Amino acid sequence: MNPRFQPGDRVKVLHRDQPGHVRTPMYVRGKTGVIERVVGSFPNPELLAVGHSGLPYKMLYRVNFRQGDLWEDYGGPAEDTLEIEIYEHWLAPV
Amino acid sequence: MRGPQDYGGMPAGPVDPVKHEHVPTHWEKTVDAMMMLLFDQRRRLARVDESRRMQEALGEDYHKYPYYERWLQAISWLMLEKGVYTQEELEAKKAEVKARLESGNES
Amino acid sequence: MSETHDHSNEHDHATHTHDGKPIQEDPLPSLEAQILEASVRELLIEKGVISADDVRRAIDQVESRTPALGAKIVARAWDDSEFKALLMSDSDEALMAFGVDMRPTELCVVENTDEVHNMVVCTLCSCYPRPVLGVPPAWYKRRDYRSRAVREPRAVLQEFGTQIPDQKQVRVHDSNADLRYLVLPQRPAGTEGWDQEKLARLVTRDSMIGVSDALAASDIGG
Repeated sequence: MNPRFQPGDRVKVLHRDQPGHVRTPMYVRGKTGVIERVVGSFPNPELLAVGHSGLPYKMLYRVNFRQGDLWEDYGGPAEDTLEIEIYEHWLAPV
Repeated sequence: MRGPQDYGGMPAGPVDPVKHEHVPTHWEKTVDAMMMLLFDQRRRLARVDESRRMQEALGEDYHKYPYYERWLQAISWLMLEKGVYTQEELEAKKAEVKARLESGNES
Repeated sequence: MSETHDHSNEHDHATHTHDGKPIQEDPLPSLEAQILEASVRELLIEKGVISADDVRRAIDQVESRTPALGAKIVARAWDDSEFKALLMSDSDEALMAFGVDMRPTELCVVENTDEVHNMVVCTLCSCYPRPVLGVPPAWYKRRDYRSRAVREPRAVLQEFGTQIPDQKQVRVHDSNADLRYLVLPQRPAGTEGWDQEKLARLVTRDSMIGVSDALAASDIGG
């Protein structure tokens, strides 16, 4: 499986309003960040959650966000950052 | 839709690192141990993702349940879903345990 | 820690320690929860899914995992640059020396420097590097920490007594999927020549979650 994104790529987290168990918290949806690293391919947790095998596996990335881009009213230096793991189907290129 | 577990960025109170410490009780460790066993490589009866789905299914009750009681409820619902035991067997067992606890002869 | 785990009695264990002092902690589970726990456990035993012995051994395993292991790993990384490089690049391989198996997760070690302070939270549940740190502290699992650590990390750090200067970046890691995070705190000044055992005494659980720094050399009479 080839990763669609590479470190340094700018990406936007999709909204994907879908029911069921997902690992993408609301606060990053719709936000733009930068791929920090390609973690590798992992079973899809949305399918594991309903007792399936998690196939097909999903590429997982660590995405870095500027806190100033996540929260309009961020109380510290806007250069503070947050990193979180996002599966490929939740990401779009910017 | 936002699940009850999705706390990131929500308003909340201060963290009290002294008051919010807690030595796990034997009861809590027992629940922890059961979860570990059901997830282990040998049994593979459930996955952590399934347990999370069940905890999220608590809805508003998610906020009220103590941590390990959430785990326990998730375990029990998963065992029912997977047919390890039936609702009838569970109800009968609970009545038996309750009677035992109330008679003070719980071991 | 181990004085209670072979009791079968459901009530006595949680109210007193072996030295007779009452334990101050969250309320005991409700009667309903006690009934459910005993019922689930007994049904699983009757069905042959687990045995009482399996439960006892699993509790032993829960109790055997403590932040002391994480502290040893950090102390070795401080003392041994080759090990540190391996830990940062291939943690599975580095952890083999400590008999640690993180599967199905992977350990991601994040290093504090003069420029960056790292801090870990799991906003969606309570993901935590249990094989190296044991069970997470109560505050880590609570709504307050999970909600605010991502939005106002500096305010939360202050509640732990940790002040990070504005020119240093605070980097929060939301442990939401397949990695588990261990913060490698900065090695305190004045510890040159210390052996790993002594260094490990400076490494607190909280410093490996990133809500505080490691202890100062003077804190342990160094």
